Amino acid sequence: MAAVGSAVGLGNIWRFPYMCYKHGGGAFLIPFFIAIFTLGIPLMILEFTLGHWSQGGAPKTFAKIGRKWEWLGWWPLLVEFITVIYYSVIMAWCFNYMIYSLDLRWGSNSEGFFISDFLGLTNAPEILGSIRLPVVLGLLCIWLLIYLIIRKGVKNIGKVVLITVPLPTILLVILAIRGLTLPGAIEGVSYYLTPDFSKLWNAEIWLAAYSQVLWSFSLAGGIMITYASFLPKKSDINNNAIITCLADAGTSFFAGFAVFSVIGYLAYSTGVGVTEVAKVGPELAFIAYPTAVTLLPFAAAFFGIIFFIALLTFGIDSAFSMVEPLPVGITDKWKISKQKVTAIVCLIGFLAGLIYTTGSGLHWLSITDYFIANFGLALIALFECIVVGYMFNIRRLRKHANDTSEIKIGRWWEILIKYVNPIILISLFLMVIYENITGRYENYSTFALMIGGVCLAIAAFVLSFVFMKVKGEKEL
Amino acid sequence: MTLPLSAIAMLIFGSVVLYGGLIYFLYRALKHKKK
Repeated sequence: MAAVGSAVGLGNIWRFPYMCYKHGGGAFLIPFFIAIFTLGIPLMILEFTLGHWSQGGAPKTFAKIGRKWEWLGWWPLLVEFITVIYYSVIMAWCFNYMIYSLDLRWGSNSEGFFISDFLGLTNAPEILGSIRLPVVLGLLCIWLLIYLIIRKGVKNIGKVVLITVPLPTILLVILAIRGLTLPGAIEGVSYYLTPDFSKLWNAEIWLAAYSQVLWSFSLAGGIMITYASFLPKKSDINNNAIITCLADAGTSFFAGFAVFSVIGYLAYSTGVGVTEVAKVGPELAFIAYPTAVTLLPFAAAFFGIIFFIALLTFGIDSAFSMVEPLPVGITDKWKISKQKVTAIVCLIGFLAGLIYTTGSGLHWLSITDYFIANFGLALIALFECIVVGYMFNIRRLRKHANDTSEIKIGRWWEILIKYVNPIILISLFLMVIYENITGRYENYSTFALMIGGVCLAIAAFVLSFVFMKVKGEKEL
Repeated sequence: MTLPLSAIAMLIFGSVVLYGGLIYFLYRALKHKKK
């Protein structure tokens, strides 16, 4: 359940439905399902098996494969830690908006409220602007919550996910029912699902589907390896991996109805086309959705609160799952008290996150997210496949997975990990490189892109070697 | 407005693969656990 909670996050609500709408509506489901079965499930099985086999976090796992590969265990943990630094800021926004929903504080101009009043957004990342106190307070609450949840380890997490996994799903069902009973909802859903099969000939839609799977399933972040290390010895690895993938994808698919029904209502109420109001990411959550909430005929505040509680609860288990592997890895290697390490890691996360609470925060967040999510994950997954496929006896891992599982995986799994997935992941990586050669991301300056994106990505890579080289209390 | 037939087809297709698959594997997991 913790793995499902980790995989299901904000992206399921605000990214998948838009990806579907943008890339051929219902036709997007075809490459998405193929990506699930060729990349998502095989990689999930690989990470579950690695964690279960090594009985340790990602650094311990890769050190067990070969001492020189230990860095490949630290790298995803550091990338995930950088991710959670800005992810927690988005959650702080949700926290603030949950409170603002009480009196619908954004009024009739949700865009102006979000950009100017709430974020105080500056014109460029280099112009820092002032620190936004409400965001800082929200951020403090989020990090405090993360610390309280993970300080006692997996037992505590097991109790927390009993609430944070079913609760947002129930809330999503309520939101979908409300959304689908609004005028214009069917038109919105029609934009979400009506297929345009001609787009299937476009390579971009296939790469988008693979990128969505990699990103949404919390793969290549060391999270699944860490969680699988806590599974009992007789756990059904293969079935657990498949269930995690299908539960995540199922939530994404369902979220589309909650989102696009409201988008349809917004288009209907404001008299504009669905294409003009369909948004992705923060724009959807903090501009489009609040506008639609204001226009609701009754109980507007109630549905606003429910929406932001759903986002918070969807996000919190992803957030603590991104933090948890790092203290586990450090404790495994240096035998320091887990509570102390967790406190220090959370404090660093909070302090580093302050940059994203300034007036230029949204710019920096957007840059870091773009580089970490696009370059980091694809590269880590590629290295995982290559190291396990070529530097290790992959058949041994398949045997380990099959020995504990009722559903057996065949040689097709080895072929996917060794040959097919590396080709897909290299294509994803090359696509992002091509995008950056042909145009600068959001027209940000080279300085901002270097500092907020490239340098951070390189720093995580270099630090992973530093972590490997520093001698531990005990050999991993 | 009603949902176009092609959209309904994709709705059924998506639901069968995702929720049908999820129910099937959950059922197998429970069955295996009972054994």
